[in-house]
Amino acid sequence: MLTTLVAVPLLGAIVLAVTPGWSDRLVKRAAVAVAAVPVVLVAVVVAGFELDGPSFQFVVDVDWIPTLGVGWRVGVDGISLALVAVTAVLFLAVIAYPEDTRGMSRQYHGWLLFLEAVSLGLFVTLDLVVFYVFFDLSLVGMYFLVSRWGHQDAERAALKFFLYTLLGSLSLLLGILALGLAMDPITFDMRAIIEAQPLAGAAAAGLVLLAVLVGLGIKTPVVPFHTWLPAAHVEAPATGSAILAGVLLKMGTYGLIRIPLEMMSETFQRYAVWVAVVAVVSILYGALVAFGQDDLKRRIAYTSVNHMGYSVLGIAAAGGLLAGDEAARALALTGATVEMVAHGLITGSLFLLTGSVWRRTQEYDLDAYGGLSSTVPAMTTAMVLASFASLGLPGLIGFVAEFQVFVGTFAVYPVLAAIGLLGILVTAALFLQLLQRMFFGERTTRFEDLTDLDGTERTVLVGLLGLVVVLGVAPRPMLDLVHQATTLVTGG
Amino acid sequence: MIALLPLLPAVLGVATWASDALPSRRRPPPSALGVAATVGMLLTAAIAALVVTRDSTAVAALGAGLQVELALDPTARVMALLVPLVAAPVVGYAAVHEEGAGLPRLLGMLQLFVAAMLLLVAAADLLLLLVGWELVAAASWGLIGWEWRDASRPARAAHAFHATRAGTLGLFVAAGALFADTGSLAFSSVPDAGAGTLGVVAAGVVLAAVSKSGQVPFAPWLTSAMAGPTPASALLHSATMVAAGAFALARLEPLLAPIGWFGPVLIGIGLTTALAGGIVAAVRADAKEVLAASTSAQYGLMLVAIGAGHPAIAMLHLVVHAVFKSQLFLSTGIAIEAVGSRSLGRMRLGGHLPLAAWVAGIGAAALAAVPPLGAGWTKEEVVAAGAASGTVVAVLVAVAGGLSAYYATRLQLLAWGGDGSGPRQLVRRPRRSEHAATIALAAAGLLAGLLWVPSLGERAITALGGEPPTGHAWQVVLSLTLLALGGYGAWVVQQRGRIATVASTDVGHVADRWFGLRDLARVAVADPLHRSSAALARFDDRIVDRGVQLAAAAAEGASRVLRRTAEVRVDAVVEAVARATTGLATIGAGLAERGVDAVVGGVAVLVERAGDDARRVQTGLVHHQFTVIAIGLAVAVAAALVGR
Repeated sequence: MLTTLVAVPLLGAIVLAVTPGWSDRLVKRAAVAVAAVPVVLVAVVVAGFELDGPSFQFVVDVDWIPTLGVGWRVGVDGISLALVAVTAVLFLAVIAYPEDTRGMSRQYHGWLLFLEAVSLGLFVTLDLVVFYVFFDLSLVGMYFLVSRWGHQDAERAALKFFLYTLLGSLSLLLGILALGLAMDPITFDMRAIIEAQPLAGAAAAGLVLLAVLVGLGIKTPVVPFHTWLPAAHVEAPATGSAILAGVLLKMGTYGLIRIPLEMMSETFQRYAVWVAVVAVVSILYGALVAFGQDDLKRRIAYTSVNHMGYSVLGIAAAGGLLAGDEAARALALTGATVEMVAHGLITGSLFLLTGSVWRRTQEYDLDAYGGLSSTVPAMTTAMVLASFASLGLPGLIGFVAEFQVFVGTFAVYPVLAAIGLLGILVTAALFLQLLQRMFFGERTTRFEDLTDLDGTERTVLVGLLGLVVVLGVAPRPMLDLVHQATTLVTGG
Repeated sequence: MIALLPLLPAVLGVATWASDALPSRRRPPPSALGVAATVGMLLTAAIAALVVTRDSTAVAALGAGLQVELALDPTARVMALLVPLVAAPVVGYAAVHEEGAGLPRLLGMLQLFVAAMLLLVAAADLLLLLVGWELVAAASWGLIGWEWRDASRPARAAHAFHATRAGTLGLFVAAGALFADTGSLAFSSVPDAGAGTLGVVAAGVVLAAVSKSGQVPFAPWLTSAMAGPTPASALLHSATMVAAGAFALARLEPLLAPIGWFGPVLIGIGLTTALAGGIVAAVRADAKEVLAASTSAQYGLMLVAIGAGHPAIAMLHLVVHAVFKSQLFLSTGIAIEAVGSRSLGRMRLGGHLPLAAWVAGIGAAALAAVPPLGAGWTKEEVVAAGAASGTVVAVLVAVAGGLSAYYATRLQLLAWGGDGSGPRQLVRRPRRSEHAATIALAAAGLLAGLLWVPSLGERAITALGGEPPTGHAWQVVLSLTLLALGGYGAWVVQQRGRIATVASTDVGHVADRWFGLRDLARVAVADPLHRSSAALARFDDRIVDRGVQLAAAAAEGASRVLRRTAEVRVDAVVEAVARATTGLATIGAGLAERGVDAVVGGVAVLVERAGDDARRVQTGLVHHQFTVIAIGLAVAVAAALVGR
């Protein structure tokens, strides 16, 4: 089942690559149809997932390089299943969303499907080497999306993104090798490594942890490893930004849960407070720098640093103790996971909206807009809803995540949690001001005849923001799923 | 059942708002919307009555070990009835008072506002309280910025949202502390918490309530909130939003009172705000802003009562205040529409609109706490309650009462005086339903005078779970004397013709700006925030990113050296891959060429380093690792192929 999940978009990508001559419309339809399959498959997996079953379910285990203990192992727990679900949904949304493909519709959709396969593969694999391969391949796909379909300075930004994050994955590779080689016999099976905790008490464990944290920290990104992010976002096409922020960043925080928290819990516990400090710095710094941006896309890009900071804070709190406060630590980790889902849906919507804005105005400068509310009411509604979701309004999914992160973290790091809370004040300020500058006040003469969102855009945004509302009002099914896994991880 | 309490107005609100999207010929007329909204609010009140009589509660598990609980205690019961009953005339008034496009949005948001407030009222745990708390703030944001074409209004709406969200952080902290200690968020688990936790919970709730109820130092946001349409102000200042702060304190007082500082801090903040707000209300030239400052002052009195251990009296004052303050806003709205301005200097409408003037006079008398109105009784009870905490408190409450008599009289004389100096012609005459709304509320205000009947007043207090304070005659004499002095003072100043111009004096100017609190918020919070975020944005671009670039350059140099010294075998693999990809890259034209080159170059360099590092880890296995990496690269190349 999970293998099919990965194979379908990959096959779709290959088919698109080798069949020239299809019309753009046909390509688009085919791509949407292919991207719809994983959504259906995920629904089947969610329906079949047993809440009182084992941690990893739908497991398939096939040897690949037995001498090294590498294999095609797939399986999901509540945490990865939530991420798989948001990945499948977001890719369908992005592939359906209109984007200027510059006459290369086949290649554009091919790359998106390739990225989807890679991303799904990363979240379902239970093998560290395969995880690493997908981690790297995601860079390749994103590199091409940014450099080919991005704005003026796209190539340089894409290259910076690629090299910077490749450096990160190299650092991660060192950690992965150390973990796998420390096993006897050598294996990269995640379940076995989690079970064995091979580096517990080892002299070099701290260094390995550092290598892994740097690698994942760059991908997430946390301050000060975040500067590739705004550059890539500003130049990327909106759909690429949506995937980059909505899916690729989660690979960092997901890795943080799987590797340091689960496989090196003792070592991680020793340094978790510093991870929490970095998270709080990211929360505040990301929000403040976002508030200082006058460019729509850069502003949203920096809020990712802020939001991923919440997620990292929750993970640090979950790993901050080896025993005790289980309920609070599980809550923090559930919050961290839900934050990834929330950020994927919300920031995905926000970036898709910037794409709609760009296609109509060729402008990202916040001062150039004003009073758009009267000409594009549907776009205004979508932006207001997405902004309030991002600033953590209750009733929307972002609040569910942030409340759990803060309340859960309070038991472990009360002072850091309280300082981090100031971040939600700044995000409120930056989003309300953004809305005010774009949509309210006097209408600028420059954009008097903008067209509002078209049917496709509306459908996609209603879908994404509908999930933001539904999961915000009735989070129970999602929380049950995630909490089952986080309770096991935190030893509750 | 109890879930219907917030749900019904929420559904009605969404439906009303959605009617905006109908094609214009099928859109219901404003009158129909107004009637529907009023009936909806009355229905909500009926549900509230049913919930109260049946004592309905609800519990729901949210997952992740969290659960939420709806239940009404005596304090909440009063609020659950008050909110829809005050809202009913307000929404009806809104439908005729505010014209044109956007009315469905306004009425819809007003009903959502009520829904959010009822959720807050029915909450029996900190999570739902926080949810309602924020939703009320969001609804206020929408209402204050309703006329968004004027850019200053959304900005003021944001001011209100930020000021109260700063307080919301307190609720987050309270929830975190309580959960860490007891593993629960329910109000009922507060007594299980340790002393330290209880202190943190109390501090969080006080911070939240003080900001919400427009107390010092957050008071100026209430002035900003005046940018909203008059019906929104009427609701925001009476039974929703601002009321949330005092309500939450009254609701939780029995749990938090064991904290030693809880009472004194509330009394201190309440008295400061009552006096400062009274002075601000006494000098403002804008009719709505006079009422805004008076709201802060009146909620100050409620905080004093709660701090003195008499939340029941605070709740009774809240109820009568809600009735007369919403009425005063609606009356003032009539005056504002009649002259087309909010400035008190242009009104004096008594000659033109005697009926409206008389009705407004009832509200003003209540604001001044004149016996035998209900507000007079609740204020005397606050004085008596304060006396238990010290004579000074009672005296200062009485002084604040004198101030309210002054500003209420001044407001009435300026807005509704009948000396013929008003405008020659009215811009707009009030509609019949506008009168009806104000009269209904004024009648309710008069009815509250029954509280003076000794047995009824005492029963009201005990019904709310309180005990009547033992007052002394000197307190009544003092407060009535000060009341008379205040009213007489306003009259005298008016006779000298200086009443509308106080704000132009130096002292008046300081008071007009909330004694510097508005500037303080700007200088101490808003400006540094803007400056630091701009500075950090520059720092991020110039310093953090530059460091990365320098590191990249250094790494590139280092890799070149490494590459020259690397083993032939490594080179061969890497260069084969590099040649293949470079070859592919040159086949097609297009932007990506240089990029692919660079990528491949980068990959090559880094693969070498990976190889090197890996070898150090485990020499014997290096070819296996290359196999794996080569497979990864092969897939990358294949991917590059696909992309062409």
